Amino acid sequence: MSIVEMKPLERFAAYAKGESIDRLPCVPIVGNTSARVVGAKVSQFRGNGLLIAEAQIASYKKFGYDVIRVFTDLYTLAEAMGATVHYPEDETAYLAFPAIKSVDEISELNPVEPLKDGNLPCHLEAMKRVIEAVGMEVPVTGAVTCPFTTASFLIGAENLVRLTIKNQSAVHQLCEVALESALRYSAAIIAVGCTPSLTDPMSSSTVIGPRQFKEFSYPYLKRLIDFIHVHGKAVTLHICGKTEKIWQLMADAGADCISIDNDASLQGAVENVGSRVRIMGNVHPSDIMLQGTPEDVRLAVQSCVAQAGHNHKGYIVASGCSLPTETPFTNIQAMMDAVREIGWPPRIVQAVERHL
Amino acid sequence: MSRQSPEEYFKDLSEAVVEMDEDLAVSLSKAALEDGVDAYEAIENGLSHGMARAGQLFEEEEYFIPELLMCSDAMYAGLDVLKPHLKKTTESRGTVVIGVIEGDTHDIGKNMVRIMFETGGFNVIDLGRDVPPQRFVDTARDSKADIIALSTLMTTTMDGMGTVVKLLIDANLRDGVKVMVGGGPISPGFAKRIGADGYAVNAAEAVKIARELVGTA
Repeated sequence: MSIVEMKPLERFAAYAKGESIDRLPCVPIVGNTSARVVGAKVSQFRGNGLLIAEAQIASYKKFGYDVIRVFTDLYTLAEAMGATVHYPEDETAYLAFPAIKSVDEISELNPVEPLKDGNLPCHLEAMKRVIEAVGMEVPVTGAVTCPFTTASFLIGAENLVRLTIKNQSAVHQLCEVALESALRYSAAIIAVGCTPSLTDPMSSSTVIGPRQFKEFSYPYLKRLIDFIHVHGKAVTLHICGKTEKIWQLMADAGADCISIDNDASLQGAVENVGSRVRIMGNVHPSDIMLQGTPEDVRLAVQSCVAQAGHNHKGYIVASGCSLPTETPFTNIQAMMDAVREIGWPPRIVQAVERHL
Repeated sequence: MSRQSPEEYFKDLSEAVVEMDEDLAVSLSKAALEDGVDAYEAIENGLSHGMARAGQLFEEEEYFIPELLMCSDAMYAGLDVLKPHLKKTTESRGTVVIGVIEGDTHDIGKNMVRIMFETGGFNVIDLGRDVPPQRFVDTARDSKADIIALSTLMTTTMDGMGTVVKLLIDANLRDGVKVMVGGGPISPGFAKRIGADGYAVNAAEAVKIARELVGTA
């Protein structure tokens, strides 16, 4: 039955053409978990493109998933624009202080220079090295935080959401400068041969409403995606939390693939927007991938495939969000194994009602 | 402003909160006091009522975090005017110690929950963000709190929630203090595993659960 295991790029190409493949594409979204693969501490990634590359390559070779995404945290762009990021010794970095305190300071913000500012050069170096090592067989992407989310790191999330009601032009100014940074960084990512991969958690309906999304997220996403499309790259857009009411807008913005998390229904997404975009998701990153057993992972993958495996524009088995750093290797392996077991065309033997 | 009945003031105050009108909440609160409306009733039947409606709209996904924050700004602005005029000390439903667990600085969700707790009649001690587990326990003991409410948005810090429960047991305080958890990566299953008493999916639900936990539903 099974054909020889394909390389990820071959698999995607055949899948897009509707040809036979060996299995569905599968992406456990490995970020800082890659530090564990090479026995490094997460903080060692800071400013060390070589180590990020080594870890990402080693992790890809260990598990054989279908997309490499160079990502350590959401703050790289905001940091390069002046936000203060705290780097714990061995955990994911977090925002310590936004770049500015009030709208009066917005005019002082400058868009990034990707080859100079913050940790951007090291991330670009990592992407370049990964491309050189394995870019001929697997898609390599670099994470880009989208304008509305970066704006929240520039002035503080609570400030920003108040401004969406109190001072809309200030929000647009912030998004505009954040967009310019994202465009420049995307151009630099494309220049090293890599593909920008978009993430916009603050645009989630868990935070702002669809009306605010349309006003403050959508226009900037659209301009960013248009730019990436001009360079011939397909775009994956990840938004965490609730997204049901903005799926159509995510597709309107031009996303080729939308990545959704466990707060959104995979089946709902297939019915709502599956004829327009590829869908990826949504195995629970903490409940299942971090804390579940390999059997929990297997059942969750089966449930996802049962919901979305037939999606018109295609489906990628994936975790709902970046994996927690300490996700057990056995669970990442279990995700890959479950997808191989399901095979092609997707065939689920076991009853999965429990997870549906 | 022409004289209004207390009921009209309550309705207008409630509306000012729902409509996110901070200035109106302040001017109505002042006018209500001048017209002899009882401050406690203006808070309870006006401002809090409005905030509860805002919470309802949030649950129905008509309002989102921006609206809820603006409603709470209006509520607090009115509260600042009315509070000095409270005649009796109002009876609290209980004391809640709230905070974001150590290692995490995301506090929008926690702030939403605090607002809903305060509106819902709880006395709230907010420890802020990046709070070590032991501080929750010490504060709960010192303040004789009924509830500890823990929030995190990060998977890396979830374990700190379990630590709080363990520390409460070690301190022989577990029986008197209920533990509630919430935040992005948290699920009812996780809450159960670490031995928490309650999980809430959002700020509006958190208050309901808290009331159930302290038996004042």
